[in-house]
Amino acid sequence: MLENFSFRTIVEYLPLFGQGLVTTVWLSVLAFAGALAVGIVLAAMNQQRGRLFRIPAKAYIDAVRATPLLAQLYFLYFGLPRLGIILPELVVGILALSLNSGAYVAEIIRAGILSIPHGQVEAGVASGMTYVQRMRLVILPQAFKVTIPPLLGQAIVLVKDSALLSLIAVAELTRAGQLLASDRFMPAEGFITIAAFYLLLYYGLKGLAALSGRWLGLAGAQT
Amino acid sequence: MIWQQLQSLAGSYPLALRGLGMTVVLSLISLVLGTLIGFGLGILRTGGNRLISGVIGAWVDLIRGTPFLVQIFLIFFILPELGIELDAFSAGIIALTNLAACFICEIVVAGIRSVPTGQVEAALASGLSRWQRMRQVVLPQAMRIVLPPLVGQYVLLIKDSSVVSAIGLTDLTRVGWLVVQRVPNGLLVFFLIGLGYFIVCYPLILLARRLEQRIGAAHGEVQI
Amino acid sequence: MTIAKLFIAGLALAGLTAAASAGTLDEITKRGELRVAVQTQGPPFSLVGAAGERTGSSVELAELMAKEMGVKITFLDFDWDGLIPALLSGKADLLVADMTPTLARAMKVAFTKPYMYTGSTVFTKADGKFKSTEDCKAKGTKIAVLLGATGEKEAKKAFPDADIKSYKGGGPLLLDAVNNGQADCGVNDVSAVKGQSTAYPAGSFTIMPDMLSKEPLAFATRYDEQDLLTWMNLFLDQVSLDGRLQKNLDYWVNSDDWKKDH
Repeated sequence: MLENFSFRTIVEYLPLFGQGLVTTVWLSVLAFAGALAVGIVLAAMNQQRGRLFRIPAKAYIDAVRATPLLAQLYFLYFGLPRLGIILPELVVGILALSLNSGAYVAEIIRAGILSIPHGQVEAGVASGMTYVQRMRLVILPQAFKVTIPPLLGQAIVLVKDSALLSLIAVAELTRAGQLLASDRFMPAEGFITIAAFYLLLYYGLKGLAALSGRWLGLAGAQT
Repeated sequence: MIWQQLQSLAGSYPLALRGLGMTVVLSLISLVLGTLIGFGLGILRTGGNRLISGVIGAWVDLIRGTPFLVQIFLIFFILPELGIELDAFSAGIIALTNLAACFICEIVVAGIRSVPTGQVEAALASGLSRWQRMRQVVLPQAMRIVLPPLVGQYVLLIKDSSVVSAIGLTDLTRVGWLVVQRVPNGLLVFFLIGLGYFIVCYPLILLARRLEQRIGAAHGEVQI
Repeated sequence: MTIAKLFIAGLALAGLTAAASAGTLDEITKRGELRVAVQTQGPPFSLVGAAGERTGSSVELAELMAKEMGVKITFLDFDWDGLIPALLSGKADLLVADMTPTLARAMKVAFTKPYMYTGSTVFTKADGKFKSTEDCKAKGTKIAVLLGATGEKEAKKAFPDADIKSYKGGGPLLLDAVNNGQADCGVNDVSAVKGQSTAYPAGSFTIMPDMLSKEPLAFATRYDEQDLLTWMNLFLDQVSLDGRLQKNLDYWVNSDDWKKDH
């Protein structure tokens, strides 16, 4: 397959790859924003002392972590219409990615909160801070720094997972490669090109994390 | 209709068991190998040699940054052009082991870096060799940080193993694709497939949580 | 540059060894097995039966080929993504699937002569409001097609105002999407639609009598396997002359007979 590797055909398909790349980027951005929201809610539920919130949050996180995204995606895509809810593919896709990544984000936030030394919290209590104040002024800023690298890791996973949306008719980056494989029978060209684009996104995200690390004054931020 | 479909599904259980077996065997072999190699890479990466560290870093980036499907393709379909012919099972093991090793390397590096420098300096001052420092001072402490995400990574690996169906191995996910051709109910079929993965993955998730709690207890759990 | 040179040297070497070795047919005879890539996601051409056995129209034809060659058959089971690489990389000698030999594809692989003709057809949910091909032409109609299949292109031509949704993962998912209301109409190969709709209660779908296109189906091999290609073409001639091809197609494609046995 390599001896006849055709750069010309890749160039011919470049507009298609470009469109796919753009779709992958914006749907990943939306899905990651959703994942952060889901993750924060779940993490907050998980921090409550009452079982009423903690048990459903834990059950959700475990169920998502223990099953493949493919099964979750189908669960939503074929399950929602049976409840009379028919959503466009893109919406279902972004929803599935958000709900999936949200569980991982919740775990990352929890680990971040756990990483804060005991004394800090006690000091907060001693100086008469309320729960919200302690959270906002002491814990979250510190936890945020610790969670940046794993959050980046999760963002990368999300971007790559979004390839699965090609199964439910979303025209993203992977789809462009598959089209080259099925229209022209050039799988090597198709798949190596998408790999290059994903790598580009990866380095972009990594750079972003390094930048935000520096911005937060996180010397020696390792990603 | 649902009853008919369930009956038809029940008849497919030998296929499902075969798929589950393939998923478990593939994951087990590659997570054992991946852990060994991942620890080796992680220790080398934090070692003093800049060249080795840089090469490992670049390789890890390459693997983390590209889709696993593409990696498995290159190993199975393109390596033969360079004279390395592999059967689907070996190609699957190699691809998965490599993926696991790269992610585990990152986890190990984070663990080693979490050990306070004072500890290393103290070990240095007491005349321990590099290997002794690593084995007796750094690794035992790093393990506390490493273990929970390591087990979490195993869960991800088991789920990633589904990509091997692209090179013709019949794993649990592929069984889903085969069965859905005859029982056209994507919801039901993939719910059952999800259940299969859950049975394998959930004990690992519980284990990760136990480990985390034990470490937390030793460390003094934070009460906010 | 050096890498490129090394590469060319390697290729030259590969070319030499290819020229020096015997043809593919000799190799198959010596090996004693015919390696066939199949995609097991498309009844009635290729499917996994109730007992977990691989079967279907194309699969049986491939088995017949191996029998006539006097060798045993080894099926390599790929999904669509892996099918073409398997052939191009030499993992498989030939490829049997319900594939349309388009001219663009024939730039990369060698197709046999067509062994049957089929076409893309439109199907809808039987009790839905889309009753004819004309109905599906309305603006904004959601039309389910298979990614990269010829039906995808035909649908784009026939329904310029519609919202074309390309799915991956096999024809049955198109039926599922239409059945669930995620799409209003589906376009796929007529034999595939007929074969796959039998999994639903009778009368679930309306399959339009008019065809969007007429398409040949063919098997594929590589251009460096001219001897095998010649043999496969002769095979197709022979089985169509002695009626074995017709028998296969009547059982699998032109009727629902296979449903009783698999």
